[in-house]
This record gives sequence, structure tokens and C-alpha cells, in this order.
Amino acid sequence: MRVRFWGVRGSIPVPGPSTNRYGGNTSCVEVRPHDGPPLIIDAGTGIRRLGKQLMQERFGEGRGVAHLLISHTHWDHIQGMPFFSPLYREGNRLYVYARQRDDTHLRAVFAQQTEDPYFPVPLDAMRADVDFRELVDGESFSIGAARVACTRLNHPWIAIAYRVDVDGASVVYASDTAPFTDILLEHEFIERPPEPGAPLSPEHRAKLEAMRAGLVDLCRGADLVIYDTQFTPEEYRAKPHWGHSTPDDAIAVALDAKAKTLALYHHAPARSDDEQDAILATYRRRLAGSDLELIAAYEGLEIGLGEHDT
Amino acid sequence: MKVRFWGVRGSIPAPGPDTNRYGGNTSCVSVAADGARPIVLDMGTGLMHLGVSLMATEFGRGQGRAAVLLSHAHWDHIQGFPFFPPVFVDGNAFSIYGAGRSPSMLEGILEGQMNPHFSPIYTLKNLGAHIELHAVEPGVPFDIDGVRVIAQSNPHGSTTALAFRLECGGRSLVYAPDVGYPAGGPSEAVLALYRGADLLIHDCTYTPEDRAERLDRGFSSYEDAAGAAIRAGARHLVMFHYDQDYADDDVDALRDRCRAWLDAHGGRDIALTAAAEGLELDV
Repeated sequence: MRVRFWGVRGSIPVPGPSTNRYGGNTSCVEVRPHDGPPLIIDAGTGIRRLGKQLMQERFGEGRGVAHLLISHTHWDHIQGMPFFSPLYREGNRLYVYARQRDDTHLRAVFAQQTEDPYFPVPLDAMRADVDFRELVDGESFSIGAARVACTRLNHPWIAIAYRVDVDGASVVYASDTAPFTDILLEHEFIERPPEPGAPLSPEHRAKLEAMRAGLVDLCRGADLVIYDTQFTPEEYRAKPHWGHSTPDDAIAVALDAKAKTLALYHHAPARSDDEQDAILATYRRRLAGSDLELIAAYEGLEIGLGEHDT
Repeated sequence: MKVRFWGVRGSIPAPGPDTNRYGGNTSCVSVAADGARPIVLDMGTGLMHLGVSLMATEFGRGQGRAAVLLSHAHWDHIQGFPFFPPVFVDGNAFSIYGAGRSPSMLEGILEGQMNPHFSPIYTLKNLGAHIELHAVEPGVPFDIDGVRVIAQSNPHGSTTALAFRLECGGRSLVYAPDVGYPAGGPSEAVLALYRGADLLIHDCTYTPEDRAERLDRGFSSYEDAAGAAIRAGARHLVMFHYDQDYADDDVDALRDRCRAWLDAHGGRDIALTAAAEGLELDV
């Protein structure tokens, strides 16, 4: 399979000279098995250019099928979807997967994005067929030859991580998540962060430990783990309730899971290319001598994994 | 009045090396008039960068007041709002003026953006700043600290967008984003709004060829913008809201063709500027 990064930024797109190298588009990763339809993880603004490329293939003839795995529906993970060209071509088919919500059908959440007065073309007027598949935590399923599994993450309103196994290789996408140590993030709005070191309730501690164990299982032996590392440790201490991790948290999970390569991902909007280089260099020094390879995801990065592609 | 451009792009932010010169952020313009609180035109992603600069002023201490004029609520005109640092500071106050039959309709639109499915903010009530909403009635002037503001409604595809005229100290500036005129061009009411403007910031999304292919999207070509400027006797036309696929070189070409079109159609005396992020103009 080939994994290609189309958007690596968190929160909001950030155009400008200081993001030219890593890229300013929000979250979108393409996972292309050797045979079968493309899998797309998240639909941030990066999906716009992916859509243009897909239109050069079967999608331009209205014969394309793609599977879109959504981690969660915060804007930076879905805001590119109305600009995904294949949706405007009759005959194309898009399957959208996301976590089941208690109160709302998934289609209704996505329909709201393109309702009046926010966007001129409502979902129902888009010409491609769009099917929604609601997932429950821990579910696994097949897409062609690919096997997909998911587990929940620690993020406001709840996000899920995905693992794709195909062509004898595996990739995990774990964004967005806070570490599993200080605060449980679910449906409640948390106005102020807890005091540093404040004890967790036994119930919350158990839930967080189970969540982390589920994620480590999902990452077990993965060839590539793509992980939300929006924060530096200092930034995390100020905003533990925002639902993002540091490279330290990502490295700990990747090492526990004996993953092969870890990609820093979901970079903070204010992070310049030079700052991101420095973060990568710092953590690479710390990992010297370890078997874990560390990279920082950038727009246009393409990685071949497994049979056919390595 | 001092005008500064924070986002000049239409539809969706367009990051990348080929948009570095004009900028890839979506619509946001700020206006500073003597003695008036800052006036912000639209809240695209450029708003975040305006917000960062405001935090170095009284807005960082929770003593800031600003007004926002909202042309319409398509995403590219509101998507910067949840990332505008001053709205998280207790004590700051924002008056948002937008289209809508009532302030509660406008509130519903902004609430929809903050809804927990889409945003970790959950609801407007979690913003620290005080937000006051005003429904704008086209043709009825109102005052912001001595700046006279009047709006008219323009057709924009299947919907409408407001254009605003700001007058202060005998000078005038018009902000007209997102407009697709019918075959006859702007309405009389809209031409009256533009009339004699010292600065006309006008939608200039497309070349005429691209506009012809995408008529239903409700945007202007440079011919539409230049034609409106000539008919209204504007002094200075500012091109704005470029298509997300136009690279810097494409915008250069758009400006050159617009200049030539103005010169050939009686607009030789109209100054022309292609808006770019960071550009400041005095009115």
C-alpha cells in the first residue's frame, strides 16, 4: 500500500510562507491498497487536492469508489468535504464511516455542514452517491482486501483511531487524542483544566487505562503510526482539556506497541516549519539507538509499505 | 480610514507556496477610523491573524471593543470566528452586524458553527467575550462610533450577500464580496451604494471565461467588478476574493487584464489594486 499525506495541520488551515514545507492544509491522509478502492482518512482541506487527482482517474468518468474514514467531525477533519470534486460527478460512490452518535444520525451531522446558510450545495444535491456507515468502538470490518479496525480516543465529543491492514502491511491513524493520564474527555464541556497532578476518580482512571490499552493494541507491530502531536509538553500543561498529545505521549504508545515508524501529525497552526524541524530533531536525538523510526508528516509525503511497494 | 487585508481568498483557504504573495486565507478585512473601535469585515481564516495582532492591544487585557460586519454566513466568511483569540477573553465586547430577519436568527447561525459535533467550544455561551448581535436591514443606515454604515443586498448564487458602505470624515469605502450580478449588472440600489466610493473592494473571483462556466456559483469576474466601478464612478477598485485554484501568477494576470479592461472601457482614471494579505490602504 501507499500512504500519502494531503493535509497535516490541526485546528485551522494556515496558508503562508512559514508553512510552505510541512503544509497548511488540515487533516487528510490517503491509504491506497495495491488493488481496490482508495481509503481516505479524514476530510480536512487537504482532501480538495486529493479530489482533483482522483478526478484524473475513474472518478472523472463517474466510475470511482472511495471509502472515507472519519476520526471525528470537528471542522478541521471535515471542512474539505464540500470541495471534494468526485462528489459532484454522477456515478461516483463515497462510503463515509464515522463513530455512531447517541443523539444524531451521521448523515444529519454531515448534511448540516452544507445546509443553507453555510454552503450553497446541500448534501442531497451532490450527484455522487454518499453512504454513511456508523461505527461502534472496537468494531472491525473489511473494505475489499483491506481490514479496518477502530478504537476510541480521548478527545472532546470523542474521536476514533483507525488501523488498516492490507498488502501485508499496517498503518494506524490516531488523531485527535489527549494522553490518558490527566483528564477524561467525553461529552461534557470542560471550562477549566484540572489542577496539575489532581487525582482522577477510579472510574475515570479505569476508563483512560482501558482506552490507552485499546490504542496500544491497535498500534501493535504497525509499520506506520500517524499520531496527533499538536502540543509541546509546555503547551499541553496549559491545555490538557483540549484533547491533543505531545510527541512524548505518541512515542510512549508507539514503543509500547513495538511499532516500526511514528509520524508526528496534526501540527499546531502556529507551528512554523523551522519550529517543526526543531521538534523532530529533538525527539530523534532522544530516540537514538531505538528501533522506532521518527518522522514528521508533511504535505506530499508518500510512504510505500508492505508487498508491492517497499 | 485605514484598511488592512487579512484574508483575500474565496471559498476555502488555499495554503501552498504558489499563494504566498497574495495569501491563502479566506475573507477578512479590518478598518480603523479615527475615534472608532476596529471594524472587521467578515470572519474568514484571516480573522485569526487579525486576532493575534489585537491581543497585543487592549483586547489582550479584556478591554477591547470591536464591530463585525458580516456579508453572509457561507463558511469562508465565518470560519475564523472560533479561532479569534479576543473572543475568549472576558471583558471584550463584539457587536456583530449581519443579514437575518432577527438577531436570534444570526445567533442560531453562529451557534450552529460551535455545535459540539463540529467544535470543541460547544456553544457561543462558552466564549468569554460579550457578543451582541444585530440584524442589518438593507438601505437603513446605522452608526458605529461616528462611522456611517449602510448595506445593500446583492445576489450571490442561490442566496444573497450584503455589501457595506462605510463613510467617515468625508471619505467612503465599499466592501462588496461574493456577488454574481444578473445580465444587466448591479441594481440601482447597489449602484447608489457604490457611487463615488473612494475605495471599492469588490469580488473578483474569476476570469470572464471561468465565470461563464460557473455562472450558478454567483461570483464576479474582473469585468463585472470593473464594470461596476466604472458605472458607479468609484475612484479606486480593489480586487478581492480570488478563486482557491488561482496561483499568484494567475492573480497577477487577472490584475493586468482588469487594468486593460478598465482602460478600454472608460475607467482609465480608476486606480486598481489586487488585494493581498498584509496590504494596507489609506482612504
